[in-house]
Amino acid sequence: MMTALFTLLSAVFSLPYRLLLAVAVSVRSRVQAPKMPANEDAKYYRDDPAWGDVEPLPQDDGGLHPLASIAYTDEYSEAMGYLRAVMADSEHSERVLELTEHIISMNPAHYTVWLYRAKTLREIKADLGREIEWLNPTALQHLKNYQIWHHRQTIIDALGSPDGEADFIATMLEQDSKNYHVWSYRQWLVQRFSLFDKEDELTWTESMIEDDVRNNSAWNHRWFLVVGGHSGHLESEHVVKRELEYAKYAIRKAPQNQSPWNYLKGAVRAAGLPSSSLKDFALEFADMRRPDDIYSSHALDLLADIYAEEEGNKEEAKKALELLATRFDPIRAHYWNYRKGLLEVPETAA
Amino acid sequence: MAPGLTREAEERRLNYAAHIRYWRRNLKTFLPHQYTGNDCNRMTLAAFIISALDILGDLPAALSQEEREGYIDWVYRCQLPGGGFRPAPATDLGPLRNPENQIWDPFHVAGTFFALLILVNLGDDLEKVKRREILQWLTKLQRSDGGFGETVGENDRVEGGNDSRFGFMAAAVRWMLRGNLEGPVDGVPDIDVDAFVRCVQVAETYDGGLSEAPYHEAHGGFTSCAISALYFLDRLPRKQTDGRPRGLRNMPMTLHWLASRQTLTLDEEDAADTYSDETDSAATCHDSHSFMKLHNFPSSRGKLSFQNQPPVHAELKWVGMNGRENKIGDTCYAYWVCAPLKLLEHLHIIDPKPIRRWLLDRTQHLVGGFGKLPGDHPDPQHSFLGLMVLSMFGEAGLQNVDTALCITEKAKKHLESLPWRRKLLGLDDKGEA
Ligand SMILES: [Zn+2]
Repeated sequence: MMTALFTLLSAVFSLPYRLLLAVAVSVRSRVQAPKMPANEDAKYYRDDPAWGDVEPLPQDDGGLHPLASIAYTDEYSEAMGYLRAVMADSEHSERVLELTEHIISMNPAHYTVWLYRAKTLREIKADLGREIEWLNPTALQHLKNYQIWHHRQTIIDALGSPDGEADFIATMLEQDSKNYHVWSYRQWLVQRFSLFDKEDELTWTESMIEDDVRNNSAWNHRWFLVVGGHSGHLESEHVVKRELEYAKYAIRKAPQNQSPWNYLKGAVRAAGLPSSSLKDFALEFADMRRPDDIYSSHALDLLADIYAEEEGNKEEAKKALELLATRFDPIRAHYWNYRKGLLEVPETAA
Repeated sequence: MAPGLTREAEERRLNYAAHIRYWRRNLKTFLPHQYTGNDCNRMTLAAFIISALDILGDLPAALSQEEREGYIDWVYRCQLPGGGFRPAPATDLGPLRNPENQIWDPFHVAGTFFALLILVNLGDDLEKVKRREILQWLTKLQRSDGGFGETVGENDRVEGGNDSRFGFMAAAVRWMLRGNLEGPVDGVPDIDVDAFVRCVQVAETYDGGLSEAPYHEAHGGFTSCAISALYFLDRLPRKQTDGRPRGLRNMPMTLHWLASRQTLTLDEEDAADTYSDETDSAATCHDSHSFMKLHNFPSSRGKLSFQNQPPVHAELKWVGMNGRENKIGDTCYAYWVCAPLKLLEHLHIIDPKPIRRWLLDRTQHLVGGFGKLPGDHPDPQHSFLGLMVLSMFGEAGLQNVDTALCITEKAKKHLESLPWRRKLLGLDDKGEA
């Protein structure tokens, strides 16, 4: 789902890529784009008396050989002409809010239209509660757009309250429980309103993991609350015990699930415990004396690390890596063999 | 025919003719109106189009001299009066632009990065690029925590997210315009490289990946961008320390995380039953695949394995790459994961063969290009990054590419040969080749 990264950077990450390539497209005539069929609900400004005083500024597409030209609809071209005109004139008004809303509905990744709208809201002292009411369905329509979340941050920050945000986030996560923007926004919310130690937040995170024990975003959010909220440390022995038990419980539910294993290893490191403290637990899922009863490649991986650190147990470590390479995780055979190679490097050279 | 050969022959090849048709169509015809959401990313799409044709070796044939000059002219028409490039004509206020309203047509790091790539690809000498001004903008685009934003807005406020995509593009632009030099050059101040490195380090995650910001989830795209940025800044980890801060803080963990992005979950319907786990579904499953299917091997297979014979199993024919833990394979992550491995000089920890087959057999499209998932229509981003990966793997018939810049080595050499750049870097004193 989440292509995420990148628009490549900026666009790349979160675009509507599954577009029908189809229609193509008559040859770029260098003069005019092909006419798109008129949309019955299209909104035009030229006949609207409320806009009669504005002279639109048409797009200069840049000469005879423009690159990546798009067959814009008339509706979009016209609206953009009015947007450039109001920006040029620095107009901030109620009708500008409507215009920016219209453009966002067609091109939510227009980076300055959002900034312009934010400034307009400030200038005309608009009702920010209403802005959020508009943003909710807009975000649901454009699940992968990140400008929307940036804008939402600006508005909620100005409102000064997180009320209602948890419900909205829940609605968003129903659409895509791993949406990166939504989880990032939740983290911003926790930070902005100091919710790290609010019990609800941890309980909610647990319910997300309960729904899907493989939701790595939820696991990461737990780490953010428990460790990130306490300057990178697990704050007490009680918390250490609780976190280790929690991860172990989840692993017993689904041993072949990298998320809680990574969490467990991270927690042990953050607590300053040796990885050997997890040996007995790992053996529950991967006892090399009984290779037919191995239930988790992640347990073998961890055992390989533990054996490698033990005095004189390198052969056991190699055996674990060989099992991974040849039987339990062969898609990563090159990696396991590389790890095996590292064991052969003389200690002094390491 | 020997069985081995038959099998080879059955494999899908890179369909050069179709890819060339796909990219020429993108170059010379209008993109359909569904691309309106990309209106402000046209420079990015344009860079993919030009660079893809160059990787396919088709650029000279695809362009007349007049077209080449026309495209160069188009890019320069996107150059801002104060330096830098807008990412599309959409924000151009033309004759109405003035000091008060120019913040709505601001310096834009992606516009600038991709414009420079296109100019280099088309053989321009960048003499008309306002290079000093761009370098000055980069320093304004850096936030106090060391990270970079996307644009500079009202009152010099840095706008846009604060993740490694922007740092990557800023570092690449800096490298193109002033190489590896640190500190002021020619009276133009430098960005704070140390602060940026620290910003990357605090975005390292507990599982070894890199994220958007401290304590956010590890993500292939952010990992790749951060590592490419460190590469451009000459701050990747080194055996010998030189007193300068270097990322990453835990290389073995990062390599583990990158290697873990290989997956057998390639289709939405690739659900699998897993050991006492009721939550596994098409949307959630992942690494259960590699494990559960192979776990059922007969024991005799296990014995064989101990002789270092990798098992030949149909499941291993195609291996995809994902961007986060427990996510489905996606064409673009083949690049976002392989690129950092290559820059860290560890591409050998993955096997390129099944990844190549996945791209060619599963996400390559009949009309050319690559889709995100099997069966998806091609789009410029996935189509371009798919080609990048195949070239990085040494696909016959493709031009060699520079992993981090995303252009051909030939185009990069052209950049490096430009007289103003050689002079700036003091290369002419050391004798010309
Ligand atoms: Zn993708």
